[in-house]
Amino acid sequence: MMDDDQLSENKIAMPLMVQALVDGELDPTTENRIESLIAADPALAAQRDSLLALKAAIRRVPQPEISSALRMKIAAIGSPVRPANTATLLPFRARLASRSYDWRALAASIVVTAVLASGATRLLNLNSSSDSFTMAIADDHRRSLLAASPFDVASSDRHTVKPWLDAKLGVSPPAPDLAAQGFSLAGGRVEVVSDKPIPTLVYRHHEHLISLVAEPRHGRGVSEPVDQSVAGFSVVKWSDGAFAYWAISDTEWPDLNDFVAQFRAAANPK
Amino acid sequence: MDEGASLGRFNEVVLPHLSAALSLARWITGNTSDAEDVVQEACLNAFNGMASYDGGNAKAWLLTIVRRTSYRWLSQNRKPVEKAVGDLTDLEEATTLSGANINPKLNPETNYLANASVAALEAAITTLPEPFRETLVLRDINELSYREIATMIEVPMGTVMSRLARARSLLKTELEKSR
Repeated sequence: MMDDDQLSENKIAMPLMVQALVDGELDPTTENRIESLIAADPALAAQRDSLLALKAAIRRVPQPEISSALRMKIAAIGSPVRPANTATLLPFRARLASRSYDWRALAASIVVTAVLASGATRLLNLNSSSDSFTMAIADDHRRSLLAASPFDVASSDRHTVKPWLDAKLGVSPPAPDLAAQGFSLAGGRVEVVSDKPIPTLVYRHHEHLISLVAEPRHGRGVSEPVDQSVAGFSVVKWSDGAFAYWAISDTEWPDLNDFVAQFRAAANPK
Repeated sequence: MDEGASLGRFNEVVLPHLSAALSLARWITGNTSDAEDVVQEACLNAFNGMASYDGGNAKAWLLTIVRRTSYRWLSQNRKPVEKAVGDLTDLEEATTLSGANINPKLNPETNYLANASVAALEAAITTLPEPFRETLVLRDINELSYREIATMIEVPMGTVMSRLARARSLLKTELEKSR
């Protein structure tokens, strides 16, 4: 790692370091150093602002729509009735096996359509499609436990986690430090549910991790915590108007409920 | 892995990222209908290669397949286009050095970026030479990390960073011209 003197004198590296800061790629220590150098140098601040403006502009470029024709073709993958040119690519054993799974083809196309169609609408309504949403979040939580690291940014400092999420998504939920209450902030990551990036905080409680998925709500609907079990995990969901939250963990129910109470008290002080 | 398990994983791992897949394929091939063909083929490759998914970032895994499929598709369906960029190594050196001179003004006007239309942005991204466009799209549109991009396109992280800096600088110049 470079020290401050090296950094400030290294005119070649600095633009790349500013860029890495804006991209949320720096470790917390380096991030702090670069930020203090930027604070002292208006030219560096200008570089940062210009990069932020460019990234914000690029975010306005829409993702292409998936046409219904393409949707059908992809639904057909995994179906025993394949177009001739694709069937030959399957191993012989798989082709044989697939004959006995006719129902799967139907199920696959229903799942594909449901996943694609619900992307826009599920975010508008907390209740109607929230079960599959919760299921997706449970899957993500499980994947995060299996991955090398359960978070994309590891830091117990909310002043690191929040700006990281802001830089990635332009939005971040409150990230109170609840270490005194037994729930320490461990980091943050971005979940992608139905192609929507959603900020997620990770808290640690003894040996357990709690994923707190926070979907921006823009003031729509407030709801009290509801407990449910999904895919073997305990899930509590609630909304405070600004965000809809899903707290998910394999910890015991009393602990998870305690976490939710502590988080709500710290995030929305009465 | 049997067919049923593959299908379950396919639904879980591939389907959420179709839009990102189509986006990348469109930026590489240059048009939507070619991109749809590529995505279809890439999804089939992903389905058949499901066993190779190691539980990491599903989007990065799928986009790696989409990228490979896109270039294979291009090489089979199109004549190679003359590279407009000359020697890439020179460009990358120039990038690193010129990085020091970015924005001599203290209060650069960024309104033109805030006001740029989507059409102008798309046109400007299209004009970027391929290696720079690809890196920019993977980072700013597909939102992969430096490390994921470096792994995917098989270059060092430093090259990802300098290509990205170059791409953004070219993009700003292009947008400034068109304001």
